[in-house]
Amino acid sequence: MAALYGAVIDGILTGGVYALMAAGLTLIFGVMDIINIAQGVLVVLAAYLSYFLSIRFGLDLFVGLLVTIPVLFLLGVAVEWLFIRRLRSQEKTAMSILVTYAVAIIIEGVLSVTFGVNYVQLHGWYVTRSFQLLGFYLPYIYVFGFLLAAALLAVLFVILYRTRFGRSVRASLQNRTAAQLIGVNVARVSTLTFGLGVAVTAAGGMIFGATNAFNPNSGYDLISRLLAIVILGGLGSIGGALAAAVAMLVVEDVVAVIWSPVWSDVVFFVALVAVLLIRPVGLFGRAAARAQ
Amino acid sequence: MPPDATVNGTTPAVTADPRGRGAASLEFAGVIAGYGGGDVLKGVSFRVPEGGITCVVGPNGAGKSTLLACVSGILRPRAGDIRFRGESLVGLTPRQILARGVVQVPQNHSVFPQMTVLENVESGGFIVRDRTEVRRRLQAIQESFPVVTERARSKAGSLSGGQQRLVEFARCLMLDPALVVLDEPSMGLDPRTRRMVFAAVRRMHEQGRTILLVEQNAKAGLRLSTDGVVLENGRVRLVGSGREVLEHPEIGALYLGGAVAPAGAGGAG
Repeated sequence: MAALYGAVIDGILTGGVYALMAAGLTLIFGVMDIINIAQGVLVVLAAYLSYFLSIRFGLDLFVGLLVTIPVLFLLGVAVEWLFIRRLRSQEKTAMSILVTYAVAIIIEGVLSVTFGVNYVQLHGWYVTRSFQLLGFYLPYIYVFGFLLAAALLAVLFVILYRTRFGRSVRASLQNRTAAQLIGVNVARVSTLTFGLGVAVTAAGGMIFGATNAFNPNSGYDLISRLLAIVILGGLGSIGGALAAAVAMLVVEDVVAVIWSPVWSDVVFFVALVAVLLIRPVGLFGRAAARAQ
Repeated sequence: MPPDATVNGTTPAVTADPRGRGAASLEFAGVIAGYGGGDVLKGVSFRVPEGGITCVVGPNGAGKSTLLACVSGILRPRAGDIRFRGESLVGLTPRQILARGVVQVPQNHSVFPQMTVLENVESGGFIVRDRTEVRRRLQAIQESFPVVTERARSKAGSLSGGQQRLVEFARCLMLDPALVVLDEPSMGLDPRTRRMVFAAVRRMHEQGRTILLVEQNAKAGLRLSTDGVVLENGRVRLVGSGREVLEHPEIGALYLGGAVAPAGAGGAG
């Protein structure tokens, strides 16, 4: 029974981190109709940046975020400016998959050349130390990671619901034409949203790298999970992404404990297919969620 | 009627307007515009008299919505000019055009569905930095549009089609516009709701605002309007008073289903 409790808590804590990464992905889709396939590799890039700062400058992983979050934000802005805004509106969504896949390959190549293809993992005292809870040991990094993800999601919600920029993002997300016609500069909002969506991978990547060994190829497994989460939650729905991330990770961890780790990955995607058969727009998705 | 010479500028477009009365609020002069490879508008010229209601009608694909996209700055014309009170709007951003008092209500379901009614209306004042002024205008609008108060906390997406239209109108009034541009205001509405929406259009007009609207329901739109313009295949086919266009035999047969209402038929709907 303790193992089951452990699996549920583990799923919730890991789900919080996935929720943060998925929130960035679904926000980008919601505002821009862009499916950012590079999100997984960007998480890995963020993990490598944390690794670099930690190895080279001895920077604590959490302190390193003060560097990696702005760097990832600027990288997101640059990618949007260089590649995304040039896509023509008629085929934007489909082309965005190809373009961001190309970006992913470029980043993966640069990481392979720079860091090699061997697996590495991030280190800190909280990665190796654990504490006892309900009869099982829980590494501090899971709790710290969850708290960080929760805090950043709270910041994201404050930005979205309490600021003028947030209102312009929500307006663009819900009706792009109407947003333009109240004076929102949708192009600028798109650039900043892409930056914001990528910036959250800084924290996600650090926690991912501290809880998993990773190499430059690790982004592909990650993006398939993140896509499953945002589709399950309903494309463009941040709340949906949060709920779906926690639900999926809990299901996966519980299956690993009561059945077998071999089946946990399968169940992840079976759950996705099952939900979509019953509700094609995802758990919190809306049919024709946004008029153009 | 005063002569055309009272109008700022004497482009062929303006002189082509046979009525030529009063000062023009908005003037289209040889506007060519389109998307991708083709031109949708192929040299559109007419004027929107100050203080009137001008209705643009025409079959599907005539270029009505493209015309409005050019006015609001969403689409830049490839050639020609659009002047508001003598100042060219071409090349300005939608925000700059809003700041000049030209506000557009886009076609069908343009509320922000997940925002409350109050948030929707407030968002109309997005470009107004003075929050006190925004609150003052909001209060005035709430008095004219009871739905904004009655359903203030409801998600705008949960309102009926007619109520959503009223919220869209209320939102556009947050900028106290001189020219209101309406894209298919009656689209998808039953006759009773359409009458309610058109009454709101009349109220905006009575407040001294110039109205430019595009209507698929040509009869209802022209009955409401002081002036009418028929667009066909990206060109102006006819310009006249609302009644003249409504009663024109050829236009009636082509675009109004052949059975034009007798002169003097009042009311919209």
